[in-house]
Amino acid sequence: MKAPTPIIEIRDGKKSFGSFVALENINLTIHEGEILTLLGPSGCGKTTLMRLIAGFEGLTSGTLRVSGEDVAAVPPERRPVNMVFQRYALFPHLDVFENVAFGLKVKGLAKSEITERVKRMLHIVQLESLANRYIDELSGGQCQRVALARALVNEPKVLLLDEPLAALDLKIRQHMLAEMKRIHAETGATFIYVTHDQDEAMILSDRVVLMEKGRIVQIDRPEDMYARPKSLFAAKFLGETNLFETAVADSGAQGTVAKTASGIGFLSRNGAGHKAGDKVVVSIRPESFSFANNDEGSSQKTQGQVEDVVFIGSRSFYTVRLDDQAKIRIQVQRNGRVKPPEPGSRATIYWDADNVVMLPQA
Amino acid sequence: MSLSKSVTGSLLSAPTVLYMAVFFIVPSLILFAYSFWSAASYQVVPDFVLKNYLGSLTSPLFWKVTFNAISIGLWTATITLILAIPVAYYLVYVARSQTILYLILLTWFSSYLVRIYAWRTLLGTNGVLNTVLLQLGIIDHPVGAFLFSSFAVTITLVHIYLPFCILLVVASLSEIKRDLIDAARDLGTSSIGAFCKVIAPNAANGLIGAFMLTFILVAGDYVTPQMLGGSSGQTTGLLIADQFRKTGNWPLGAAQAFLMFLVSLAIYFALLTAGRMSGLVVHRPRKKKEA
Repeated sequence: MKAPTPIIEIRDGKKSFGSFVALENINLTIHEGEILTLLGPSGCGKTTLMRLIAGFEGLTSGTLRVSGEDVAAVPPERRPVNMVFQRYALFPHLDVFENVAFGLKVKGLAKSEITERVKRMLHIVQLESLANRYIDELSGGQCQRVALARALVNEPKVLLLDEPLAALDLKIRQHMLAEMKRIHAETGATFIYVTHDQDEAMILSDRVVLMEKGRIVQIDRPEDMYARPKSLFAAKFLGETNLFETAVADSGAQGTVAKTASGIGFLSRNGAGHKAGDKVVVSIRPESFSFANNDEGSSQKTQGQVEDVVFIGSRSFYTVRLDDQAKIRIQVQRNGRVKPPEPGSRATIYWDADNVVMLPQA
Repeated sequence: MSLSKSVTGSLLSAPTVLYMAVFFIVPSLILFAYSFWSAASYQVVPDFVLKNYLGSLTSPLFWKVTFNAISIGLWTATITLILAIPVAYYLVYVARSQTILYLILLTWFSSYLVRIYAWRTLLGTNGVLNTVLLQLGIIDHPVGAFLFSSFAVTITLVHIYLPFCILLVVASLSEIKRDLIDAARDLGTSSIGAFCKVIAPNAANGLIGAFMLTFILVAGDYVTPQMLGGSSGQTTGLLIADQFRKTGNWPLGAAQAFLMFLVSLAIYFALLTAGRMSGLVVHRPRKKKEA
């Protein structure tokens, strides 16, 4: 595999509106052809970052390059970037075909070429039969496809998607996610996808940029970010997790050991950099706990009382009260061989040192 | 207990409908009936004659003053709309506060007549404009033509009706989301291009409405032309008013009022047709959705 080519590079980006700092210390390189998600809670600056790339806003300081060219002075209409708006922003006075043709017409392409490209794009988004419909005659999912087609028909180097599925209901959302992946594969454009929905980010992205309060917190592949969050915020924002306030007791070759005040010890192979006496938060995902001892060598254990079981088909969620009164959530995959404990019974809980993540206190 | 939608609707609109029926529709119908009656020595005689209409249509004076009224109306409405659009655009898409909108509304607190007299002061032979031009040496004696001209009438009417037109344009732009401008720019148009290709077509009906309402108010205004227009200040409005006030020929006045109404209607449709032919106003054939 050849080295990825950078298409967008932001160095020391800062954006303020008056005295409000919306973005700070933004250093980000986006590679050609990848799906990159800007993920974060509302108000974290992800939409501002995207509007900067689109050209609707300008950086207060720092540089933004697209294909190596500094675009500070380039207005949105002259950037090789197109956007899919959150509320689609389709033109109500035009029909589907004319909406999709808009950008090509502005560019002044020949009519035959416009027709051909619009038709091809409508085929990709499966809207050929609705070409002559007006926007208010379409469903939400259809509007979404028109918005995608209207942006993609211009063959942008980068496609920006601003929470494009937020207005759709769950079922269509899942369908559109799959569509989006297919369209990405078919067009080969770089997708920058803004969302506050961690599931969308996980399903779609090659890399996730996690943001909080105007700063980038972590950039990683989704599976790495989930397994190795680098901050408490990342651990809590992506998926569910169990957190323990601990202090590091020992740090050695086999890993780092941290203990809660009540004496439960956690051995971690992901705790390098912490020294004895440091206060750290231990994060263990619900699925990393188990009622069965899988691996004699590295498993650690503690005891507790099963309080509650929620059964959701292939998985069950257990709430267990540990002996120090801390409550943890355990996810158990349905498995014929191991009989899980009944509510009210005592149970031994096992986990593996590989799945123990030690995080600095926030 | 709940009332059906149609019953609720009727109840809510009943007072207005009643008021308009009694004080607008009925009087209009009476006026319409009058327009076929005849007048003899300050008396209105029930009759059925077409002479009020035919007489007006063949009278050079009627056409001269109607031409005046329409020309003042079209000029004023055009200038007003051109001035109102950038202000409304700023108010709807750029400004974050409503202060300027309130300031615009504030201008309505000054009296109509006071403003007309203010313009007389500004434009008169000893007025501000002449004094400044004299001081600058651009003219060597006061220009009388500033006052009592269609220039004076138009400038005053623009001043009076601009706030009204701005509000109408603001209302029609408010329905169009800012996103559409961003989307158009994202797809390669400049900001002006975005206005022409996206905002204007979507606001076209509202913009034509703003133009027409301004036109109708201005074309029917007979106070400003009378006080500032001199010989060019004879408009249909004044002619009609004179039939009621001075000559006492109500049937003729009524007929002329209806003719003016028809002329306004004709201009509206001409405008709409021009808009559609130029592609600015999109005429959407409402397709029935398949069941």
